[in-house]
Amino acid sequence: MRTARLVALSLLAAAIFAAAPAPVTASGHSGEVLEATLDNGLRVLVLEDRRSPIVSVQVWYKVGSRNERPGATGLAHFLEHMMFKGTPTRGKGEFARLVEQNGGQDNAFTAQDVTSYFVNIAADKVDLVLRLEADRMRNLLLDPKEIDSERQVVMEERRTRTEDDPDGLLSEELSAIAFKAHPYRWPIIGWMEEINRINPPELRAFYDTYYVPNNAILAVVGDVKAPDVLARIREVFGGIPRGPTPPAVTAVEPPQIGERRVIVRKAGAQLPIVSIAYHVPNHASPDAPALELLSTILSEGRASRLYRKLVYEKRMALGAGGDYSYASVDPNLFWFYATPLPGHTVEALERALLDEIEVLKSEPVPDEELARAKNQIEASFVWRQDSVHSRASGLVRFEMLGSWRLLDRFVPMIRAVTAADIQRVARAYFPSDKKNVGVLLPAEPPAPAGK
Amino acid sequence: MRLLTRVVAALLLSAVPAGAAPIAQREVLGNGMTLLVAERSAIPIVSVSVYLRAGSVFDPPGAPGVASLTADLLTRGTARRPGPELDRAIEFVGGSLEADAGKDGVTVSLAVLKKDLALGLDLLAEVLREPAFPEDELKRRVAEVQAALKRSEENPETVAGRALGQALYPGHPYAHPTQGTIESVGKITREQVLRFHREHYRPDAAVVAVVGDVTRDEIRRELGARLGGWAAPAGARAAVPSAIAVLPPAITRTLTRELTQATVYMGRPAIRQDHPDYFPLVLANYVLGGGSASRLYTRVREERGLAYSIYSSLSPARYGASFVVGLQTRNEGVDEAMRLAKEEMSRMGREQVTAAELDLARAYLIGSFPLRMDTSGKVARLMIAVEEYGLGLDYPDRYKERIGRVTAADVQRVAARYLDPATFSVITVRGKTN
Repeated sequence: MRTARLVALSLLAAAIFAAAPAPVTASGHSGEVLEATLDNGLRVLVLEDRRSPIVSVQVWYKVGSRNERPGATGLAHFLEHMMFKGTPTRGKGEFARLVEQNGGQDNAFTAQDVTSYFVNIAADKVDLVLRLEADRMRNLLLDPKEIDSERQVVMEERRTRTEDDPDGLLSEELSAIAFKAHPYRWPIIGWMEEINRINPPELRAFYDTYYVPNNAILAVVGDVKAPDVLARIREVFGGIPRGPTPPAVTAVEPPQIGERRVIVRKAGAQLPIVSIAYHVPNHASPDAPALELLSTILSEGRASRLYRKLVYEKRMALGAGGDYSYASVDPNLFWFYATPLPGHTVEALERALLDEIEVLKSEPVPDEELARAKNQIEASFVWRQDSVHSRASGLVRFEMLGSWRLLDRFVPMIRAVTAADIQRVARAYFPSDKKNVGVLLPAEPPAPAGK
Repeated sequence: MRLLTRVVAALLLSAVPAGAAPIAQREVLGNGMTLLVAERSAIPIVSVSVYLRAGSVFDPPGAPGVASLTADLLTRGTARRPGPELDRAIEFVGGSLEADAGKDGVTVSLAVLKKDLALGLDLLAEVLREPAFPEDELKRRVAEVQAALKRSEENPETVAGRALGQALYPGHPYAHPTQGTIESVGKITREQVLRFHREHYRPDAAVVAVVGDVTRDEIRRELGARLGGWAAPAGARAAVPSAIAVLPPAITRTLTRELTQATVYMGRPAIRQDHPDYFPLVLANYVLGGGSASRLYTRVREERGLAYSIYSSLSPARYGASFVVGLQTRNEGVDEAMRLAKEEMSRMGREQVTAAELDLARAYLIGSFPLRMDTSGKVARLMIAVEEYGLGLDYPDRYKERIGRVTAADVQRVAARYLDPATFSVITVRGKTN
């Protein structure tokens, strides 16, 4: 509860897929998930899991920073904060108070594509949570006075995550140059100036547009009787009217022309950071499984390639990795990043990262490395069934891609990737003349300016 | 198996009230190692955590960082194979094997699919019993730790936390950073690491917590085959002075960095579960700053918009405990946020909490206990804490009972005793203001 109301920043959002739980086999789940779409369009997934007397209730709205416009960035995340500030029947703070009074834990996060709310609680309290979620799906107060107060909280959050955090700052700056047309170019939390400016009517309009049952997925996983829960969901949510279909995001990022580069000098930073990002396709592409496997080959564990080469063998980096956002709704970036050890320059480290990218193009990944990465992905799928929370979020993440049933197909798709596929996607998507490079350098504090 | 026959019978099963299940099956094996098992068969995964009393509190005098470096190097090569081969072996089956040092202890954790348990246990036993501590790996790791320490100066919470440790435990080993300092780590020798491992990695100071798709008989047999011959050295286990009864002078320290936001930690030593005031203080902490309904959260965040992060926490450890109020606010907001926080701390001791607050806190703390056991990792950590702090395997029930018994008068009494802001050291890490 320490940092309630999370915002997933771009690198975290890029790893959205990495948090997805799922069973390995089709038989593991297919018969168990009770699915329904209510008349008002609300998508419902219920899964019984009787291991502990608890339940995870999650409502995911298909809205994130992707649905914002320039000039009003940060709306989705700001609204997430306001979702805890009351309805006509339950005043501000009531949501948290009721959840805690019933032994539950709640939180939320905003990402580029989604805003997610969850409550984990004793299974016999599921009804309370359903009523609370239904209430704030449609009846939010959005009191201007509360908006102004919460505005300050969001600005504090931005100071923590971006202004005073070199990693956050660099990934924000690099996204801003890697995209020029698509909303992925601005940060999830929004620009400070716009957080400061956003007004109540804008929040109200955003809420009315996107917080409708036909734009939401509700998942319940835990020690419950699925048919009973579904019946109750119909009662509690069924009366909420369907809204107009939210407007589609029409922005398409044009092909990149030429390399882009940003150098950020940050006072207070202790070590530099180098990031390289390439535009890549998302899950809709047949190349997506190869890209997903590639990110595992590059970064998962100490035997992974970037750790082994840059950290272990060359002793140039304190850390290094790569990230792919398989589940991104629109095509996104594949990130490489590294921090040099003292005594090594960012230029040398950037070259070393680029050398590794060239090796991916010129040499097939050895069998052992390929098999290891596949085994890692498969094992992580099994591990993510460990909690009802991760099972619920996994179902929704795949439902976002089209159907929760896709999770049964994911591991077989990964298993089918060949070394030639890896080499092919590295050549196709990591062209040396279309990279986005971000460098963060520690800067001396500026000379004191006149008052 | 033969070496592990002197099994001390599972405890407490008979002492548990009817209807309550103990959180683990416990036994002490022949070599003194404590085995805790929680069978969870639904998913084919097994988590094995070996906890050793070998944390930074045992660092040799003048050599902060030895414990942490020793833990880091466990997986960097054994008598049988070099580090990279270990990495490849465990990662090939999608498993992980990590060692991590804290203040009190080191946890070596293995996570594997059930089908790979034998391999995982082989590797686990190797890193525990036969680490090679290659000189080259030590040099490499020292450079990494030094760079990580340098980088951690960017993080105001880390900086504030270190300064608070020094303020709360002067003269006690809790005062120094777990990883050591850039200077101290640079001086650590292989000989120091070898000696540390010899003295502190011993079965009679080890707790093995197993959670997952495995039976107690099976895991006892498998562990016995690999760790049964691991014998305790002749010497006694190291002793550490208690930091419980000591209240150091409250200091105020401000560290200036290039930051747009200030991080404030207010802290003082507190008490552990074995103290009669502990459970009332748990309640007091919850009412003050435990959740989104707490006084600090309401007053500083919800009403005034002064902070994103504002909380209080009570953290018991083996040789001491701390009570901390933490907040982050814009540089200009520090005085006001601190004034509000101190006012709320004082008010806890001045007047009784309301019946509604007490009910909410009790209901939350009792009702949310199952959420403290909703992943294998959390179950393992709880089992280890229960063992290390002597809480008893019926802890979930005792917790419920003890929390349920706390009155508003108890909360006021302990708040007056432990939450007086004048007894708190205050560390502020902040930027310059104009």
